[in-house]
Parts: sequence; structure tokens; C-alpha cells
Amino acid sequence: MKYTLVFLLIGLFSACIEISDDLTLNNDGSGTLRYKINLSASKVKVNSILALDSLDGKPVPSKAQISSKINEFVRILDAQVGISNVLVEENYTDFIFKFSCDFSSIRNLQDGIKLSIAQISNEKITTGADQFWLSWDGNTLVRSIPAYVTQQIKNYKLEDAEQLKEGVYTSIARFERPVASFENKLGTLSKNQMAVMVRTNTFELKENQHLLDNTIVLTPR
Amino acid sequence: MVLGLVITALFGASAQAQLKQVQSEQLLPKDAVTVFSINNISLLQKISMDDLVNYEFMSEVHQELFDGSTSGKTLKDAGLDFNQRLNLFYGKSNKHELTGFTFGVADKTALFEVFDDFQVVESPLIGLEIYGTFFNQLLIKDNLALLIRIEPTMEHIDAVTDSIWYARGNEMPFDFFEAEPQEEQILDEQTFEDNPNTNVFPEATENPAVKNYYELRDSVQVMLQQAELARVIDEIYVKGVNLYNFDPRFATQLTHNAEGVFYLDNARNLDKSEGLWYFQTVLPTLYKDIQELYAGNVILGDLFLRDNKVDFEVEAQYGPALGSIYAQMNDAKFDQNVLSYIPAQSPAYFTYNINLEQAYEQAYKVLLPLLSDEKNAQIAMNVLTLELLNEFINKEALFDTYKGSMFGTFNGIKKVKTKKIEFTYDEETFAYQENETETEAEMPIFTLGFTTARPDVPELVLKHMARLSSRIQCFENYWRIDNAILDAAPLYILNTGKLLILTNDEDLARLHPKGYGKDALGKKERKAARDSGFMYGFVDIPQTLDRFPTEVLTPRNAEIISSLKGKSGQLILTSSETNTAHTTFKLSYTYEGAESTGKHLLDLVNSLYLIYTLNP
Repeated sequence: MKYTLVFLLIGLFSACIEISDDLTLNNDGSGTLRYKINLSASKVKVNSILALDSLDGKPVPSKAQISSKINEFVRILDAQVGISNVLVEENYTDFIFKFSCDFSSIRNLQDGIKLSIAQISNEKITTGADQFWLSWDGNTLVRSIPAYVTQQIKNYKLEDAEQLKEGVYTSIARFERPVASFENKLGTLSKNQMAVMVRTNTFELKENQHLLDNTIVLTPR
Repeated sequence: MVLGLVITALFGASAQAQLKQVQSEQLLPKDAVTVFSINNISLLQKISMDDLVNYEFMSEVHQELFDGSTSGKTLKDAGLDFNQRLNLFYGKSNKHELTGFTFGVADKTALFEVFDDFQVVESPLIGLEIYGTFFNQLLIKDNLALLIRIEPTMEHIDAVTDSIWYARGNEMPFDFFEAEPQEEQILDEQTFEDNPNTNVFPEATENPAVKNYYELRDSVQVMLQQAELARVIDEIYVKGVNLYNFDPRFATQLTHNAEGVFYLDNARNLDKSEGLWYFQTVLPTLYKDIQELYAGNVILGDLFLRDNKVDFEVEAQYGPALGSIYAQMNDAKFDQNVLSYIPAQSPAYFTYNINLEQAYEQAYKVLLPLLSDEKNAQIAMNVLTLELLNEFINKEALFDTYKGSMFGTFNGIKKVKTKKIEFTYDEETFAYQENETETEAEMPIFTLGFTTARPDVPELVLKHMARLSSRIQCFENYWRIDNAILDAAPLYILNTGKLLILTNDEDLARLHPKGYGKDALGKKERKAARDSGFMYGFVDIPQTLDRFPTEVLTPRNAEIISSLKGKSGQLILTSSETNTAHTTFKLSYTYEGAESTGKHLLDLVNSLYLIYTLNP
């Protein structure tokens, strides 16, 4: 889901964007993924683009087409093994899109998203298609930003640098027990010790797609 | 005395002979609809060939030029005769499209160092040399050259191919309805298998001597090209028919003492317009009437080079019917009120001054009889509706509300206040919250104003709209519609009593509801706008076009804007009064800096070429 939104929205609108990627992981490896894309700071630009028939010679989808694609993705993802409660909120006034789903395991989550993207995409996505961006052994979470997303950000033009600097990517990992340590120097630990947040601007992320990679070790059970 | 007469007679005869000598403009095919003729091409001596072939007007013929043989060379190195005109042309008939240019040749050896891909082709005429490449043909006679590219239209190629294909007893070549063709029904040619994965190209036939449909179509295309070239050669070099003697208006235009000449026959352009195919096929009588309406509609222009300035003076000539509509439309008094609302610093603005009521009445008088004669149910219903509306509508109120005159300004890009949602996270658990904060977004500031004699009508509409939506609010001097622009910024409406102004410029609405006063256009600019017939336009190129987001335009229009980008200076468009015979316009391009005049001339020619050929 999140990648479809990313493709539809980030890919189209090189505008000031806020992305939040929020993973809640239970001890048994199940959990919830929440993904939010916020284009409200660029709604003038987004609206002006949506008013066009085409941009750079490519057709601009209507709100109805975007919504239809999103709902199709939800339907496909919801049918994947180990995925449930797929929900989407679409706000076309402020251009905020929120997605969440529950998963039985990290593997189910990644497979489910990968298969759903493959089904919904007209164009074959090869970049990072086989990459796993999350791994969990019961004590340690290793995570990165999926190549599908970083590739899109990498494609931004340098002329958009100022807007990219205003864009924010926030990656949060939440757990059922306290965090013992984490590697990423940009990371901060919540006061209750149960969550780690890493933030950067989208310009930095374009320059270094591994900036938000993190290895988080939890205290023993 | 006698000697004097003999000398005079000899020189006279020589002059006559010179006059009769064929010039490069006399090689233009009569089917050329758009022509740019550059007279003083010595200005272009220093233009490099690499720069030249990068212009869009060269794109149709440049394949052979831009292949390395031109590297580092100028037009002078290419062996052109700078005493002859360089004439660029474009034309389209229902069967062919032709483009190219004609020029004089001073040094054939040098010429073929540039045109080094051309191979000698057998000529049907003594004295005419023909050289060809895959796309273009170069014809040289008496040191005058015609470089021409002929492309039969796809419709014509398909029609001829189909005709031959079916005459040979073949079935439909495209397998739309049945999966497998019936082999026994195929007589001479062999059709290809319909494979959805490789449907684009047919497979080769088993018998190489037998052509499949696509091979036949390729052959037809080549034959049509050759046939049309033969026809053009016969027309120009045997019968002596060319645009110069076909259209005396073009010949007269060439006598002007200008650096360049422009010619567009709009009547023939209309005739070839693809957009009118419906009229041509379904409503031929109406189409003929439209043709008659446009008869005599030709646009003629002169390009003059002056100090740091290129002036493009254009005359649009009309036939009596079309001219009568334009004359009535442009018979309007200039509304000076608009000038107070154009700030002196405005990077781009226009005024447009027409009498819509008179134009409507005249168009009704001219067009309605044409439509009424048409025996078509849909048109008959439209005519009835039009006549009833004409009877029942209060035209005086309508045309007093919207008289037709207007102005527009682009006041640059300003930051406008808008709202955004921010995600925040608390420190304890990183719990997520949304907060609405103010932000600023860059927005182009536009103002559009209309002359009105009935301010009560828009006021009535706004009052009722305000009752329906809280987004519409009335303030002391203006109305504001929140989030009207791109769902983010307000639209302000000023109803001054004489003008109805729509703008997204808050400063204008709040601080200048009665105009900009001393900050409005200066005396000189006001006079220029006032004296400029029905239209006046001003564009500061760096401040306007360089900031214009071309990605939001169609590729064709983006090409036009891009062709003007990066240039210094200003564009000013003025028009004269219109009568039933013509309207004249003048486009002045003033530039700064040390770029050569020839380069500026070509820049402008290129922009005009794009405007007239891409958006006819």
C-alpha cells in the first residue's frame, strides 16, 4: 500500500512531503505497520498538478483514479497470507494519506506488500524487489527503508533540492519491551524506552539512502 | 549620342535579364502555406551550422545536416550565396506534407562538404541536378537549391495500400475478429499471424517475392513520395509554377525592404486542417461555406532589424464576410479604467478591447444564413435554439454586463498564506499528533478584469452565492472566496462599478481597490496601450517566461515557450484599428546584450515558426 501511494504521489509530485513509517512489533513477531504521507504543505502545487491533463507528457491521474488504485491495493493486500485489518484514510483536502495493517510476521508483511505491488503495478518493479528491508530474530530488529521508496526519492531532480530539504522522513519502531541499544546515530529513544525514532529530511535521504537504516537490540525477555 | 543609346540599351537589357533571372524564392512549391523568407542572410554568416540545425524550424530537414560534417562550420562555410534569400517553407495538402528551404549556392564543393550524405539521383531534366538521402531531396539548378522533404500523409498511404491490397483479392490484413485467417481465401499475398505479443511487426512471408501488408505499405509510401517529387519537379522546373507566381500577395510581400518576410495563407491552412474533417465529410455544404468565409484570409509579415530590436509587422487580410465580423468586433472605445489596475512593475500584461455586442450581431447576420441552409437535424435544432435565444434573451443586459473588453496582468510570484498539517510526536512514547500550522506557498499572481456597465448583475450573483456558502464573504471594497484557487488560496472579486476584477492578489483587493494611483503604468505605457487598437501586450521575458513552468503545458506549447526562454529583453504586441479588409499587428522584440542580431532574428523566426506550424 504504502509503496503504491509513494509511486502515485511522490513520483508525481516533487513537492514538500512528510512521510511517517511507524512499525509496532510484538514479541512474537506479529505487529502493526502504519504509514502516513502528508502533502499538506504542498497542496497548492498538488492541486495545480491535479488540475492538469498531463505533466511532462505523462497523464496526471484524477483523484478518483488515485482512490481507485489505492482501494484496489487494499483489497489485494488484505487477501495476502498473514495480513489483516488493512485500513486506509484518504484526505484530498490536505492531501494526507494514512495506511495501516496488522501482520502475523515480518516475513508475511514483506511478502504481502511485494506481491500486492507486483499485482497492481502495470510496470514491472525490479529495483529492490527481492530485497527484505526488515528482519527480526526475537531480540534484534534490523530495518532499512525499502528500495522501492528510496529509488523514488533518488529520482528527484536536484532543482527540487530546496523542497527536499523541507521534506521529512520519520521512521519509528515500537516494541513490547525496552530497547537495550540501537546503532543509528540519528536515532532517539522514547522516555519510556520502548520506541526508537529516526528522522531526516528527504534531501539527505536522497543523498544517502541508508541514512535511516538501524539495528535495534531489545532487552532480554 | 548613338553610343550612349547603345550603352543604355545594353545596360537596360542586362538589367532586364537580371530581373528575369530566377531567384531562390521562385523555387518555392505553390503548396507551401507557411513561408519565412530571410532577405538579408548576410546577417547569418556567423551563425554556426550546429546552432542552426538546433532550431525547431530545421528539425524536419536536419537529419543529414547534424551528423558531424557540420561541426565547427558556419553558414558561410556551407557555400551559401548570401546575395540570395533563404526561404523556409511548410505546407500540407490532404495527401502530402512538405517542408524544406530554398537558397542560392555560391560554392558547390563547400556545400557538399556539409551535405555530404547526399547521393546523386538520376534527373529527368537537363540542367537539374538531384541529390537524395533517405528523407530529403536536394535539387540544384543554375546555382539555386531546393531542399525538400515530402511525406505522404498516413491516411493517403493507407487508402492507396488498402486499395491495392483488396484489389489483389486479399482479406482484411488486421485480424480483428477471427483468430486464424482462412488460408484458401488468400490469393496473391500472404497475411501474417496475429500474435498478441508481437502484433506490431508481421512475420516474413514464406515467399520473399510476395509482400505482406506492411511491406506493401512501405512500398506504397516510397512510390507516393517519388510521384509527388516528380510532380513538384514538373510544376516548378517545367511549368514554372511556384508560390511566387501562384500568389501575387506573396510576390508583393517580397518587394518590401525588410530583413525577413512571413507568409501564411490561412484560407488554404483551413482547407488542410485535420480538425475540420467532420465538416468535410459529413457536412460538405457547410464546409464549403466556411471555406468561402475564410477566403482571402492571409497573414503577411515583415521582419525588420533595428538597433537592439527585431520588429515583426503583421497584416491579417480578410475577405468581406469575415472582415465585416472583425471590423464590428474591433469597433470599441478603449476603456481607460483598466490602466489604473496595471502596476508599473508588472512583468506581463495585456489589454483587449472589443465590442462583443456588435460582433455578435454581425456574426449572427453572416453565420446564421449559412447554418440555416444546412439540411442536418442537429444543426437545424441548434439554429432554432440560437434564434429563440436571440429573440428571448435581453441582449442589452447581457452585453452591458460583459461588454467584451478586458485586461490581464501577471504580477510575478508571491508567497500566499495557507495552512498545513504537521505530524508531531511526544517524548514519552512517540505518540503521534496532528497540528494545523500556517505556512506560505509560492503562487503566481494573476489579475483579470472585465469592463461592465451593469455592476448590479455580478453583485446580485455574489450576494446569492454568499447565502449558500460561508466561503464567500463580502468586505468593504471586495468579495473574498476562500480556498477558491487550488483549494488553498482565496480569490478576490472587486466590483468597482465599471470593472469586475478577479484576482488572487490580496494587496490589490485590500490596498488598491481604486487602482494603483501613481504606482500604475506610466504615461508612455498608458499611451501605447490606449493607441493600440483592439489589443496591447507586454512581456518582460526574463521575469515572465523564464519562470513559466513549461511542464504544465502540452508538449507543443511548452516548445513555444521554451524557444523564448533564456532571452533578455521584452516583447511588445500592438495592433492597429481593424477594418473590413485587414488588421495590422506589430510584435517588437527588444533585447539586451551582445548576442548577434542574426541570432535574435533566427530566435524570433523559430518562435514564430513554432506558433504558426504547431498551432495553426
